Amino acid sequence: MIQRQRNSQPSSPILRPTLPIDLASQSQRQRILDAMIESCAEKTYPATTISDIVSRAHISRTTFYKHFGDKRACFDAAIDFCIAELQGVAAASHSPDDTPGEAARMAATAVVEALAARPGLAQMLAGDAMAVDPAVIERYRKATVPALEALWSGDGRAQAHTDPRLAFGQAQVLILNQIATGRSNRLPELLPEIVYLTVSPFGGHDEALRQSRLAAKTEIGGVASR
Amino acid sequence: MSDNPEDLRQWRLPRGRHGLPRELVERSQRERLLAAVVRVTATNGYESTTVGDILGEAGVGRETFYELFDDKLDCMLAAHKILIDALEEQVRAAYSEQGPWPERVRKALAVTLEWFAADPQAARFTLVELSTVGPAFRAIFQSEYARFTRLLDEGLGDDGPDPELSRATGLAVGAIMARIYEEVVLGKAAELPRLLPGLTYELLVPFVGEEVARAEQRRAGG
Repeated sequence: MIQRQRNSQPSSPILRPTLPIDLASQSQRQRILDAMIESCAEKTYPATTISDIVSRAHISRTTFYKHFGDKRACFDAAIDFCIAELQGVAAASHSPDDTPGEAARMAATAVVEALAARPGLAQMLAGDAMAVDPAVIERYRKATVPALEALWSGDGRAQAHTDPRLAFGQAQVLILNQIATGRSNRLPELLPEIVYLTVSPFGGHDEALRQSRLAAKTEIGGVASR
Repeated sequence: MSDNPEDLRQWRLPRGRHGLPRELVERSQRERLLAAVVRVTATNGYESTTVGDILGEAGVGRETFYELFDDKLDCMLAAHKILIDALEEQVRAAYSEQGPWPERVRKALAVTLEWFAADPQAARFTLVELSTVGPAFRAIFQSEYARFTRLLDEGLGDDGPDPELSRATGLAVGAIMARIYEEVVLGKAAELPRLLPGLTYELLVPFVGEEVARAEQRRAGG
């Protein structure tokens, strides 16, 4: 019988696999994170068990522990994933030609729409995450405040009119309330206020109102066209 | 037993035949349990607090506890309601005084900050520990938010401004909740009154614009 030889020579570049070598593992990890988010949305973090995650993600317990040390580590990774997703959505929503106020309005609109499309994620970020670890606010801020400030600091240092951290807290309370009253699918209704809060810290009250009016029009237009 | 007047067990009624009416006895037990649940959960956290801890702090027996409350959460919610009712009453009193609307807002805000600063344990209990009780928290959060937003709305009255943002009062209440929550989490509840000038400005600006808000901020000492 002819022994089949394993050849370690590189194959033709055209035929080289293009998918990541750890594709299966990455997809498992993502399924676990998604399962964590959805389970927290449905029954909160304290009530979520590893068994819930394992069955939702269709993986084995062993696989879960290959990716995460424990439930909390998985939760933290889920939060990081959500933050990174929203950062990406915000960054892709505007171009360098936009004025700071416009850019901030577009970023806020894109983030709110992303949250509305995935209420479980909104619920976890605004509610559970805070209860599990209040320090998570710091992580949110690091992801948002410097990016906002950078929009206004094109020509020198951005001057703060109001405390951006406060605006952030206000937006969070609004969102949490919308979720608590079972209206997470109607988060875009909050756009005028969320845009106001996004613009006002560095853009000031007047510019914030202007952008908020624009957002209100967009929202009505968006609903009408549906 | 200690002579410390802070020790709730000092309020225990004498054993045996004291001839006190049953209502008084129950009231004493109930009050001690409510004070105890705030103290114990603010110190140990909701998760690690047991009914036994509350009983020990209050000097009340287990059977009595279950005659008065269904469980730990029920006891907690009863204490929460009493605390927030008291806060609302004080805020309402300050807010309904005579004077221009921005001034009434500043006074109501001052009362709120002082209320939380005066009792850091109650602050921690009502804001932080309550948010860890699970799904029941969402309903409580929603109802407290609605009630203080309504209070601010009602007081807008005839002389109050007509804000352009339709949820301006909700934003104002959100600002206060978020700011107080943060200080309390950091263990700095006692320093809350220092935030009065800045918070006065931020709360008023969506309603009255920068100039009027700035003027009221200066009256608050900023």
